[in-house]
Amino acid sequence: MSDIHQGQAHVQDAQTERLREVWKNPVGWRRFSEVNNSVIGHWYTATAFAFLIFAGGLALLMRAQLAVPDNDLVTAQLYNQLFTMHGTAMMFLFAVPVFEGVAILILPAMLGARDLPFPRLSAFGYWSFLIGGVFVCGSIFFNAAPTGGWFMYPPLTTDTRQSGIGADIWLLGLSFIEVSSIAAAVELIVGVLKFRAPGMNINLTPLYAWYVLVVAGMILFAFPPLIVGDYLMELQRAFDWPFFDPKRGGDPLLWQHLFWIFGHPEVYIIFLPSIALLAMIVPTFAQRPIVGYSWIVLSALGTGFLSFGLWVHHMFTTGLPSLSLGFFSAASEAVAIPTGAQIFVLIATLALGKVVSSTPLLFAAGALAIFVFGGLTGVMLALAPFDFQAHDTYFVVAHLHYTLFGGMIFPLLAGVYYYYPFATGQKLSDHAGRVAFWLMFVGFNATFLPMHFTGLRGMPRRVFTYPADVGWDWFNFISSVGALVFAAGFSVVLIDVLRPKKQKADLDGNPWNAGTLEWLAQRDESFGMRTIPIIRHRYPIWYQKNFVQDVREGRFYLPDAEDGRRESLVTSVLDAEPEQCARIPGPTFLTLFAAIFLGATFIFATYHWWISTLASAFLTLATILSWLWTGTGEIPEKQFRDIGLQRRVPLYRSGPASTGWWAMFITMTGDLTAFLSLMFCYFFYWTIHTDFPPGADGSGTYWLAGSACLVILAWTSTLLARRLNSAGYPTGFRSALYAGAALGILGVVAMLAGPWFSKMDPTANVYPATVWAIVIWVAVHTSVGVIMQAYCIARAYAGRLTARHDMEIWNVTLYWHFACFSAVVALATLVAFPNLT
Amino acid sequence: MKMGGVCKIAVVCLFGFGLQGCSGERSALDPAGKEAEELAKLFWIMLSGAGIVWLFVLLATFAAVRFPSSTFAGIRPGLFIFISGVIFPTICLGGLLVHSLRLLPGARDAKADMIVKVSGEQWWWRVSYMSPGGEDVVSANEIRIPSDATVEFELTSPDIIHSFWIPVLGGKMDMIPGRTNHLRLHPEKAGVYRGVCAEYCGTSHALMGFPVVVQTQAEFDAWLKLEKSDAVPPGSPAAINGERLFMSTGCRACHTVRGTEARGQIGPDLTHFGGRKTVGAGILANTSANVEKWLRDTGKVKPAVRMPEFNMLHSGETRDLAAYLTGLK
Amino acid sequence: MTRETETGHNLWRMLAPLTIWALHFLACYVAAAILCAKYPQIADLSPLRHLIFLVTFLAVAGVAYIGFSTLRIWRYSLDGDLDYDHDTPEERHRFLAHVTLMLCALSVIGILYVAIPAAIIGSCR
Repeated sequence: MSDIHQGQAHVQDAQTERLREVWKNPVGWRRFSEVNNSVIGHWYTATAFAFLIFAGGLALLMRAQLAVPDNDLVTAQLYNQLFTMHGTAMMFLFAVPVFEGVAILILPAMLGARDLPFPRLSAFGYWSFLIGGVFVCGSIFFNAAPTGGWFMYPPLTTDTRQSGIGADIWLLGLSFIEVSSIAAAVELIVGVLKFRAPGMNINLTPLYAWYVLVVAGMILFAFPPLIVGDYLMELQRAFDWPFFDPKRGGDPLLWQHLFWIFGHPEVYIIFLPSIALLAMIVPTFAQRPIVGYSWIVLSALGTGFLSFGLWVHHMFTTGLPSLSLGFFSAASEAVAIPTGAQIFVLIATLALGKVVSSTPLLFAAGALAIFVFGGLTGVMLALAPFDFQAHDTYFVVAHLHYTLFGGMIFPLLAGVYYYYPFATGQKLSDHAGRVAFWLMFVGFNATFLPMHFTGLRGMPRRVFTYPADVGWDWFNFISSVGALVFAAGFSVVLIDVLRPKKQKADLDGNPWNAGTLEWLAQRDESFGMRTIPIIRHRYPIWYQKNFVQDVREGRFYLPDAEDGRRESLVTSVLDAEPEQCARIPGPTFLTLFAAIFLGATFIFATYHWWISTLASAFLTLATILSWLWTGTGEIPEKQFRDIGLQRRVPLYRSGPASTGWWAMFITMTGDLTAFLSLMFCYFFYWTIHTDFPPGADGSGTYWLAGSACLVILAWTSTLLARRLNSAGYPTGFRSALYAGAALGILGVVAMLAGPWFSKMDPTANVYPATVWAIVIWVAVHTSVGVIMQAYCIARAYAGRLTARHDMEIWNVTLYWHFACFSAVVALATLVAFPNLT
Repeated sequence: MKMGGVCKIAVVCLFGFGLQGCSGERSALDPAGKEAEELAKLFWIMLSGAGIVWLFVLLATFAAVRFPSSTFAGIRPGLFIFISGVIFPTICLGGLLVHSLRLLPGARDAKADMIVKVSGEQWWWRVSYMSPGGEDVVSANEIRIPSDATVEFELTSPDIIHSFWIPVLGGKMDMIPGRTNHLRLHPEKAGVYRGVCAEYCGTSHALMGFPVVVQTQAEFDAWLKLEKSDAVPPGSPAAINGERLFMSTGCRACHTVRGTEARGQIGPDLTHFGGRKTVGAGILANTSANVEKWLRDTGKVKPAVRMPEFNMLHSGETRDLAAYLTGLK
Repeated sequence: MTRETETGHNLWRMLAPLTIWALHFLACYVAAAILCAKYPQIADLSPLRHLIFLVTFLAVAGVAYIGFSTLRIWRYSLDGDLDYDHDTPEERHRFLAHVTLMLCALSVIGILYVAIPAAIIGSCR
């Protein structure tokens, strides 16, 4: 008997040893080639917090300036840089990245996966975020930071005399970061849909994962309009294309639409992941499952959808028709319902549980008090007439900080206290936590509560000073003192997090006695889960028999790494049935290089050094291609892999069954959103002008119509190539792709020839500028499609793309579906619409 | 969990601050016009409702944490979530929505009694009144309107977005290049109030205000008649010298003083500058000393302003210029 | 290990009510925005308002259809177990049905809210 045990123990030790070897983290300077989610997640989160501290420091400077009336601590110019950078850094460099960082860190363990599906993409996203963030924040030390506010309204920001290089830094630096956010969104969606442990049906999926799914989906639809806005504004700043210049047919309001179609969902993108943390924390400290799981799911989905119908409530005072204001006012009220329902779910869970008092729960309760208050002022502001008064005043500053502190900072700090043992194996001090909480809670309210009144007393936002005789001084002074108290509280947390702690024995991995899967991950092992378990309950640690022991002893799937490869399980979307054993790529420097080159492309463009920009863009492309070539689509040495428990699953899948196909689909959904935003601009100009488009045949109708036909043919060839490949005709496959690439190139040439030969001058008026912007967009997409075709041809020659192992051509075909669709829509509009009006 | 204590402090803060006085010449809660009054009322209603909801949520949280789960045995969780999270908010929010929509301009059909055109400049206001004769009376940096009349403001801007806001009279409206926006206000109480630019508009956004004088119709008519007339010729020797300097040092390139050869359009019309309450768009009281300060330290008083500093003039000349300007009643 | 496999169909049905809300919202907004931008002085908005009421009726009817067809699956009253945390196809089914049903309710509220302005506001101002 004991021999058997001993034998088992030996086997287990050998398995663990092999896993350890495969998942070993690189050391020394090679650490920068790291891609593993636990390391990248740490870096991501820590960097985001560093930006929080930076942006918080700017806020303290602002509060110092406003502490007394007529203060001259900072100049007007510097103050304007301060509030611009505060908002920008908080939104783009802290709030969204910290969601991505935390999700990358804890999601795989929560789902029972060893890593996310595309670890290299996470690493690439991280490096992009770091480079872009340092570039944008660094500008303030050279007095070159943007001054246009985080909302960057033109014409102030398109006036190069008044906005300087700061605006370019904002536009290009943040576009770069937006790209990395979308990369993270793709990664997280595929992770939640396809990397759940076997048996983790959608109704057993942890609530955090549901929220991640909703939020990542929202990023996909919210960020692209802003990217289009950045594209148009940079075209105006660099080349004087008049998109926002009313003298040449542009309209500054268009930017506001694009910005807030992004900006309002953004608020919920920030809020939902934090309430998701509460949805994990509350059940743990109530020591019972969440009450009303489905309510949370429906609230998350409902909030996600409704949040896209609110954007105009940031534009209530721009003079839009009352009817439009009414629609947005109504939707803004409606969104309060799902938001509120989540709160009551948490309360009900606490009521029916046996509450264990703790620091995370204290932060959670504080969050609730603050958030509900901010939500209630939000209900006020959503009523258009009241907003006429409160808009752009300190009342709004107060409101938004109540929602963001209650909906983001406090829940996140609850999360920090809760997940600190998960991330480091040690607990933060409860005593310090309480002190920090009360300092922050009191400091926060002292800062922001008085702002409601300064706002209603007529104090506008974004003022660098104010006069002494209008009854704002005491309120402002209290706010400034409160900010210091808050900062003191935050420092306590910071010191507690950073101070060296005595290495205590591993707290059994589960110090809060939580019920969810992530607490089984082995913190000191980079492979995370010892084995990928079968899930039968939402809180498997609480309710599945012998669960912890079975996992620790490797009694489920993939307890071993006998092939010497990093592996995790791919499962089906609804039922989480094992479908494939995915080989996950390991450390590489390519992602770091790709991010550096891409960063250089954006940074050089800021300074209008076009040759260096082009050179870097080329290097970026080359690096990404070599990353794809070496890291994806690998043909495995065998077809099937024994994953344990008498199950064999394939090692290679292509088409809709593969994670790569899903990633392409999701990326292209975001890309399509961007394209539709661009087309929205076209029709937006049409609604406000009687001479847009100016008349038929303005842009080389025949060229464009011809181009549309060529693109359709290129797409057909690609489709044909995929069929021929599956049917086993490699020569036909390659010929079809050659034809497709040639047709694609001809299509690009023809579409550029249209406006070129019609002598359309994009600086003359907004119509030619819009036509050129659309044509260039489509031309770039078609060209990328051609590069993809060439890639497939090369793969086929290299023997890496065969009839059986054909995921590249599947993904490229999928790309072409989208590219062809947008080309046809764009060109048909440009050709036909001028004749219709 | 010391939730109870927090509640108490918060309530005291909230109502203490709120009630003890939101008075002032620019407080939205001390209304002097119909629109502002409706909105202030709406605010107080919403505040009371919000206070009740907030307390309810806090008490529910407190009870949920403090009392054992057996206390809530009689409450069905689904029903609790449904009633407090869906039914109750749907009714309240629906009611608020209907009430507030009735306050929108599109739901009113009030006729405007007079039109005032205001253009937002960096960082001052170009104002023009439609006189009974039909021609425009140009002024700047001050709004005068009769009480008990519906005034329609036509709001524009040549280059940068601004927002026109008189808190005691009602809501704000943006001034957007390429568009003309309309704002109707109905002042009811005579008095002198303040307005500001609410939309961030560049470096000196903080220094872009204006006084608002609400007066009786008769007073207003008399004022408009005066405003329409040409500038009064300077009386004192100092003012005569000031006028000479005004014409010779370049002021007239940007400013208009009707009845003289100064016809510049870049800066504010100064025909009746002496009758205005402030210098520099609502930031300094209109006294000789402040006018001198403005002329000498323009860029310090209002950073990045387009007007150059006239510090090449010696102090006597500055004084004479100020005498001329303040004499333009 | 054999289990009844859910189809993607139910997931799409779950999102359908919110999608109808979004389409309804867009239709109302786009119609009003184009009309008011092209004809700002238009005096009588009643054709637009009737159009909005019609679209609202259709949207509510659509959501109601989804709601009633889901109700059949759900078979549940408020005093039952709200958790759906068992590992059975039946529970998964009822979970999806419950979420769909509640989303129907939310969507109807959203649709009706958005239609209210059309009932109150009569001009493009």
